[in-house]
Amino acid sequence: MIQVTDVAKWYGSIRAVENISFSLAPGEIVGFVGPNGAGKSTVLKMLATYLLPTSGKITIDGLDAVSHPLSIRRKIGYLSGDTPLYQAMRVDKFLRFCGKARGLSGNVLKKNLAWVVDICGLSPHLYKRIDQCSTGFRQRIGVGAALIHDPPILLLDEPTHGFDPLQVLAFRDLIQSLSENRIILFSSHIIPEVSTLSDRLLIIHQGNLLADGRIDNLAEKTGQPRDLEAIFIHLVRQEN
Amino acid sequence: MSDRLRPKDFARGIGVIFAREINAYVDTPIAYIYASVFLILSCSTFMNAFFLKGALDMAPYFDLLPYFLILFIPAITMRAWAEEYSQHTIELLMTMPLISIQIVIGKYLSALVFYLTALLGTSPIVLMLLFLGDPDLGLIFSSYLGALCLGSFFLSFGLFASGLTRNQIVAYVIAVLLGFVFVLSGHEKVVEILDGLAPAYHIGNLLYESLSVVPHYSAFTRGIIALPAVLYFFFLSAFFLWMNNRSLKRDRE
Repeated sequence: MIQVTDVAKWYGSIRAVENISFSLAPGEIVGFVGPNGAGKSTVLKMLATYLLPTSGKITIDGLDAVSHPLSIRRKIGYLSGDTPLYQAMRVDKFLRFCGKARGLSGNVLKKNLAWVVDICGLSPHLYKRIDQCSTGFRQRIGVGAALIHDPPILLLDEPTHGFDPLQVLAFRDLIQSLSENRIILFSSHIIPEVSTLSDRLLIIHQGNLLADGRIDNLAEKTGQPRDLEAIFIHLVRQEN
Repeated sequence: MSDRLRPKDFARGIGVIFAREINAYVDTPIAYIYASVFLILSCSTFMNAFFLKGALDMAPYFDLLPYFLILFIPAITMRAWAEEYSQHTIELLMTMPLISIQIVIGKYLSALVFYLTALLGTSPIVLMLLFLGDPDLGLIFSSYLGALCLGSFFLSFGLFASGLTRNQIVAYVIAVLLGFVFVLSGHEKVVEILDGLAPAYHIGNLLYESLSVVPHYSAFTRGIIALPAVLYFFFLSAFFLWMNNRSLKRDRE
């Protein structure tokens, strides 16, 4: 269970996000929608314990993100929007490194590595250097690295960036297959993608959470058709 | 679930980072280039002085070593953090269940092993001296120990400099400048000039005694393994590693 209460983040005098509150439960696939610079990545970075909130509280399974970052990191698989990968490393070595850094070893590491290679479709270029792989493939490596310890919570920042349409479809299937008993929160600024992938939506704009709910509920609340793009534009115009 | 790490897990995390960093050195040709340039420059300078002086010792090598290290060590350390920031892999590292000091120590130890490997490249000089006669092995040993202490210290502030910026060149320049401050503040002429600027305060002497690596390092090259010198290098290295760790924590805020 993720609980975010009144969270704000300021970079010096610049406000990134404010008054962000929501909770997420296992089994939910939640899409985090907003234009570039809306604050999606900042919220995900705080959930991943990379950034500390300036104010407010984040708890994950009852653990405070500020005082228990290590325990929380063990529960989380995080893919940053920049897809951070060691370009000079071989794909298999990189995944092994991520597994070891997350405390895996021996047969568990071997098993998880095989699982991740299988579900992310990494076998064609497993022994290639990462910088020799395509953008879409690198993104899959990043997803694999986030999954290597089989975490109960997945935070994915723009996970389909660089994917071709077929890869997006494969990713959708992957996310669906992973969703049981897992919290999956992913961000995107591509609205159709979010509406097809997620059960629930968080809409953020200029650092404020504008809406939180299922698309049907949001359509009802805003008086818009059951179309995420229309709902999104309506909410943003209202905010402006 | 506790956030406290058991000593075994603490060491394990350092080991994982250490192994990755060592592989990064091995995998990149630039590291071999740095090490080769360092060895060629330092050894050729030694050979020149050796033939001119005609003495069976390594003093010419160890006397010049601090000046070579000013340029060589920042080349090793400049990528350590700057590259993590520029490639955003810092986010990957800092969201793993590791505490930042484990990452700092892992990176530091790997850089130290790389430096020691480069230093070991000078062992043919020792073999040559042994072949030619009967050099003072105790003096050579203490000088190597001094080189180890000096290099360890340079690596610590090199890492710290790398953590301050995303740009490797800027990291290199900061570390070189720090190196110059620590070495040149022990140079006789610099001490004289600084003392001359404000004779009442003896700034040159003050810096020589309190800041410079030269008096501590030169004790080793004279065959003296003195505890204060070892402690000086140990505590200053620890200080810069702690500062490096602080700067990482500051980035989360």
